[in-house]
Amino acid sequence: MQRRLFLTAALILGALLPLPALAQDDGTPAPAPANVPERVDMITPHIVDSHSLEYPCLEPGWACHLELPRWKPIHIGGLTIDLSPTKHVVFLWIAAALCLIVLIGGARAHGGSKPDESPRGFSNGIEAVVLYIRNEVVLPNVGHHGDRYVPFVLTLFFFILFANILGLLPYGATATGNINVTAALALVTFIMVEVAGMRTLGKKYIGTIVFWPHDMPLAMKLPMTIIMTPVELFGKFTKPIALAIRLFANMTAGHVMVLALIGMIFTFGSAFLGLAVFPLVMAIAIMLLELFVAFLQAFIFALLASVFIGQIREAAH
Amino acid sequence: MRKILTLSLFLLAAPAYASEAGAEKTSLMSPNTGLMFWTLVIFIALWIILTKYAFKPITAAVEAREAALREAIETAKRDRDEAALLLLQHRAKIEEARGEAQRFIAEARTAGEKVRAHMLEETKAEQQEMLDRARREIEAERDRAIAQLRREAVELAISGAEKVIERNLDTDANRKIVETFLASIPASKPDRASR
Repeated sequence: MQRRLFLTAALILGALLPLPALAQDDGTPAPAPANVPERVDMITPHIVDSHSLEYPCLEPGWACHLELPRWKPIHIGGLTIDLSPTKHVVFLWIAAALCLIVLIGGARAHGGSKPDESPRGFSNGIEAVVLYIRNEVVLPNVGHHGDRYVPFVLTLFFFILFANILGLLPYGATATGNINVTAALALVTFIMVEVAGMRTLGKKYIGTIVFWPHDMPLAMKLPMTIIMTPVELFGKFTKPIALAIRLFANMTAGHVMVLALIGMIFTFGSAFLGLAVFPLVMAIAIMLLELFVAFLQAFIFALLASVFIGQIREAAH
Repeated sequence: MRKILTLSLFLLAAPAYASEAGAEKTSLMSPNTGLMFWTLVIFIALWIILTKYAFKPITAAVEAREAALREAIETAKRDRDEAALLLLQHRAKIEEARGEAQRFIAEARTAGEKVRAHMLEETKAEQQEMLDRARREIEAERDRAIAQLRREAVELAISGAEKVIERNLDTDANRKIVETFLASIPASKPDRASR
């Protein structure tokens, strides 16, 4: 039973690995037979990061590639950091720029001249989203004095949302479909959660790491502490890891799905043109679902971040 | 067990295989410190800038608006209460005024009644007085007429007697007899001087 589970997991993970890389492991690539079309992995290159940007042009394939500059990696201690911009870095920049334009633009519309009038149109929509996240997501979950954490959660929401949506555009790339990006966001959230715990609990913060039951005899306390402390610590790290993997997996899975369906359009179409309709319809449906998921995952990340902050602040009670 | 171990080792090493196969090849799970660094930098910068230039102004504006609305509602409530109080006062005043008017009317009516009664009485009294006076005058007239008549009668009697006595009798003695007779008749004293 366990072995079967493991095999399933291996299969799933194997599907995520780049096929050409595995193919080349066998040694020198054998020349493909002439009548069998060469297997091309079009999905992985689309999803993973790269050093070139695609942009629309009239050349075959309707895309040109812009090579991004490469800078020398910086060494800090044992860590090597390659700061050269990649496709996902560029799309993070674009997402951040869009956040700035949209949100600061939205804030500008709140002129100080008429404080009792709400702005109209798009700015009002932005305000509604900001207020919704503030009043329905952050404040009820974080608890008293939750105002301090509102900008953090709002930034998370909008940044992830714009990164998600940019991935749905043609020639776009999903930066949030990269585990490094989601891991960094989860790391910030983790630090924020722990800092919130330290701020609120003070010395009692130790209680969230070392389990020390107060209402038990000492003979029970010691084994409980030895058993429960790793569990507590494990729980601390599981939450951000789950955050990172949830966002990454959701964004990646959706794109793999859409790309596979688009591939099926051509496979089915080459056999019989009418058959191409089915994968086409499904691709459109999945794309619409993806649009929903883009909002949903940004919302869930923001919601869980505020829930975690609220949990650690409640820990003492 | 060994199988599982080798399989997991293979899986863990998979990204390494991938990067060995070609420097360009990146797999879905390959770590990239540069990208993480950029994410952190961009996110934190965005966080700071948006907090200052977007979220705080929006929150402040919304709170100001909420405060303005709350104040407007409170002012309206206060005004309404005040108006209701004023209305009550006005109603009471109108009621009071109406009562007063009623009272005035009643007073006027009683006063009129009194005046009428008074006037009626006065008139009656006057009438009575006039009647009395008329009666008294009539009586006086009658008395006078009686006196006059009596005097006339005396005169006539005297002159008649004079004629008789002139002829044969002592006039003075006769007159005395007649006057004594006349005095015996009960009547108010005739005023001889009024003649």
